[in-house]
Order: sequence, then structure tokens, then C-alpha cells
Amino acid sequence: MSRPMIQAAVTMNQLQQKMDLIGNNLANSQTTGYKSRLAHFSSLLFQHIDNMQETEVNAEGRLTPDGIRVGTGARLAPTMLDLTPGAINETDRSLDTALLTENHLFQIAVTENGITETRYTRDGAFYISPLGDGESVLLTTKDGYPVLGENGPIEFANDFEDITVQPDGQITITRDGVTETIDNLAIVEATRPNILEAVGENIFRLPDIDVLGYDVNDIIQPVALNGEVVKSGALEQSNVDLAEQMTDLLTAQRSYQFNARTISMSDQMSSLINQLR
Amino acid sequence: MLRGFYTAASGMISQQRQQEALANNIANANTPGYKADQPTLRAFPELLMRETGSQNIPTKYGLNVPVENPVGPLNTGVYVHEIIPNYDQGDIRETNQPTDLAIVNGVLPDEAGGLFFTVQNETGDVRYTRNGQFTVDGDGFLTTSQGYYVLDEMGNPIQTGGMDFDVTEDGVLQVDGQAIPLDIRYTDNVHALTKEGDGLFAGDAGDVPAGATFSIRQGFLERSNVDAAKTMTQMMEAYRMFETNQRVLKAHDESMDKAVNDIARIT
Repeated sequence: MSRPMIQAAVTMNQLQQKMDLIGNNLANSQTTGYKSRLAHFSSLLFQHIDNMQETEVNAEGRLTPDGIRVGTGARLAPTMLDLTPGAINETDRSLDTALLTENHLFQIAVTENGITETRYTRDGAFYISPLGDGESVLLTTKDGYPVLGENGPIEFANDFEDITVQPDGQITITRDGVTETIDNLAIVEATRPNILEAVGENIFRLPDIDVLGYDVNDIIQPVALNGEVVKSGALEQSNVDLAEQMTDLLTAQRSYQFNARTISMSDQMSSLINQLR
Repeated sequence: MLRGFYTAASGMISQQRQQEALANNIANANTPGYKADQPTLRAFPELLMRETGSQNIPTKYGLNVPVENPVGPLNTGVYVHEIIPNYDQGDIRETNQPTDLAIVNGVLPDEAGGLFFTVQNETGDVRYTRNGQFTVDGDGFLTTSQGYYVLDEMGNPIQTGGMDFDVTEDGVLQVDGQAIPLDIRYTDNVHALTKEGDGLFAGDAGDVPAGATFSIRQGFLERSNVDAAKTMTQMMEAYRMFETNQRVLKAHDESMDKAVNDIARIT
């Protein structure tokens, strides 16, 4: 008897998760470089029931094979990242840098548990962070991870007057009216973007590529820095489509109600059985 | 015992079963490629009723001969005969995810014909699906959202190498200079397939015949063909039928009450 209830309860739980996911997307609709996550449903196992002992009579006039198959609800399939680029928003802040091409990534050095690893991000809101010796500074992301240039972390003396990022990724600083190039942003292109692992905070990393039989160069390739690769003074907006998210939210809510209705109907049927005696 | 007792009970049981199928449809109203189940009811096999009586033959001492006369057929209940999925094309929704594929049926030579993607399940068997929400796994293979390999025409998993790919309208996946035709299968009788869950169908399906046309849309998904309003109406109907049968059962119970407690009461 409780089968419709279980189907509905399982599905409501999954719908709740979908709403959580949409909530997360909505909360990040203003987060720089955020890639929206999406998930669709998938049906759960179907149970085969022998509905009639007398198979010969039962087989008469049937369209489908013997027995009946009753489903057990739906579940949320694994979430996927929507990697389409977001809109470019002018900020006029010289250290804000937007990547102009899909699948291009900045490299950053992330140290976790004493191990430093190169990771990748599209979030180009950079900052200058003092190194502690009172003289030099470091170009970092907003989480404080050093941004990598062609010669490793971009470190320079702090007595500069102005810093700019050129369209081809060159970082130039002006000291006493003299402009010099200190490094180039080491921008890479993900040739196999589906291999990258999202680790949160808009950061991606390489999985254990030895197991997969790939070389780093198969997945990540440096971008030739000529022409217009980045746009300074601008940021890539989140690619969350608010209208779409709201529509999905409404659909999920209504489905939630439908399933709740299933439970109450099933409950009333149980009550009718109880009233038999 | 009153025969109608179990007839009414069978009515309740079959309405419950119907409710299960409809509740599952409602639950899957958002599942891509889901095909709505439609339960059908059928009367129990007919019984031939006979009356047994006796015929008095006027002889000297009087002779009673037992006779049986047919009364007529009777069905003593109802059961869910079949649950038939409705294989109609679902709406196509744009998702812009390059790994989402949708089959759009064109002309099918058979009324009950159907086109499917071919996938491989965990035991290595071939299964069919309409749920084109695919993804690329950590090894670069194209898989369903449950991780089942999507197969090409040679019956092999499709290696995308983790690269972006294009799928043409006739179902050829183009990646890294290679053209890999997806295995699109056709069956002339979709009702012979059985649902297994995870959007998979088991059964036999062959190559797409010359007369059948279709197109594969990349960045689109086929939505569930469940009509929530219709399903809700059917559920309400099933609920009321359940209630009616319960009332009949109670009426029988009252008759039984009379038979047990009132007949031959000595007061």
C-alpha cells in the first residue's frame, strides 16, 4: 500500500535537492566567474510484478511482455557544470581581468597540506598582497592564492605608481614615469575541459592524469599571448540565467506539491481501508 | 460467503495498483526521456455459473435426478492487466549543454515504432534509452548520467578524450577530427520492450530501416511526456473508484452482519 507514498517521498527529497541547487545558483548570480550547475532527473528502478497466476488467460490480448512493471520514483542525476562564458562587465579597476575566450583559464598556485599545486580559475579579480618583507608584493586572487606568470608567482617591488594588464596578458608597472613589463600572465587553454575537476571557489584542478594515460599537455596548453586575450578593467559575470533558474524553481515547487498530493491521497486511501471495520 | 466480497476487494486492490503507476508518473514528470505508464484494467477470467438442482421424475416411488443448468458467465473481480508505457515523443527543451542530446522522431514506418540511444549497462548488456542527458566521465567516455557507456555503431563505448564535441543531425559525433556514429536503434514494436529503471529499456531493437527518419539535436533534451494535469485527474478518479469499492465492500459486510447476527436470532 505504501508504494505511492514511498515513491512520492523519495522524489520530494530529490526535488528538495534540486531546489537547493537552484538556490545555490541564485545566490551566486553575482559571483564573478561562477559557472551555474544544473541537474536533471532520472527514473529509479522498476519492479516487476507477476500480476496474474494464470499466465495463459493473462497473455490474451496483451501488448507488453508478461507481468507489470511499477516504478519507484525519480532521483536527481549528478550535477553538471555549465561552462558557457558569462557576460563581461566593465569595472574600471585595473587589476580586474576578464578572459575573452571560452576554455581559457588563469593558473594559480594553491598550497594545501604543504603541497603546492597548480590550479585553474576564470575569476580574474586580482589583488596585490604584501609579502611581509616590507618591500615586495605578490599578485594574488581574492582568496590569496598567487597568480602564476610565465616565470612562476608574479612578485615585484612595492614602490610602483601604476599597474596595468595589457590585452595580450603582459603586466606592466610604472615606476618614476618609466613603464616596464614584469611578467606575462600564464594563461592556458583547456583542450579537454571535461577532464577538469571542480574543487569549489570557482577553482578547477587536474585529476590524477597518470591513471588516465594523459600527459599534462594533452589537457592544458599554454595560450600564445598575442592579440587580445584578456580585457583589463572588466570581470566575467556569473553565467546564471535568473529567468531560467526561477522557472526551474517554480517547476520544482509545483512538482513538490504534486508529490505531496500523492502522499495525502495515499493516506486517505489508507484511512478508507481502516474504516472497513 | 458472499461472492461480491472479493469482487469489491479486487476493485480496491486494482485501484491501488493503478495509483502506484500514476504516482510514479507524477514523480517522473521532470525526468528527461521518461515515458508515462498507462495502467489498463481487465475483468478476472470468466467463470461459468451453473445451478445445481434436482428434477423429480414421476415414477412409482418418486425419483430425484440431480441436474446442472448453466446460468451464465460471471466475472468475479478486476485486476491490472498491463501497464503500457506511452511512447509518444516528449517536448524538446533547449538546455545549451553540449552533452545533452535529444532524438526527434521523424517518419516512422510502423505505428508502434520507436528510436532509441544504445547504452551498455553494468553487466555489459545492451539497453536502450530516450534519456539523452549524457555526460563525459573521468576517463573521457560518453556516458549516461548513471555512468552507463553510450555505444557507437560498432558497439564500443565512445571516447571523447574530454574534448568538446559536435553531434550532427544524423547522429554522428565529431571529436578531434574523428567521426563516430552513435548507435541509434529502431524497433517496430516498442511495446515488446520492458522498463528497467534509470530510463533504460530492455529488449530487441535493430538498425534504423530506410523508411524511418529522425534527427539528433545537440544541446536539447526530450522532456518527460507525463501530463501532470491529466495524471492528477486520473489519480483522483482512481481514488474515488477506490472509495466506491470500499463502500460496496462495507455494504457486503453489512449483509454478512445480518447473516451472522440477525438470522435465527432467538429473542
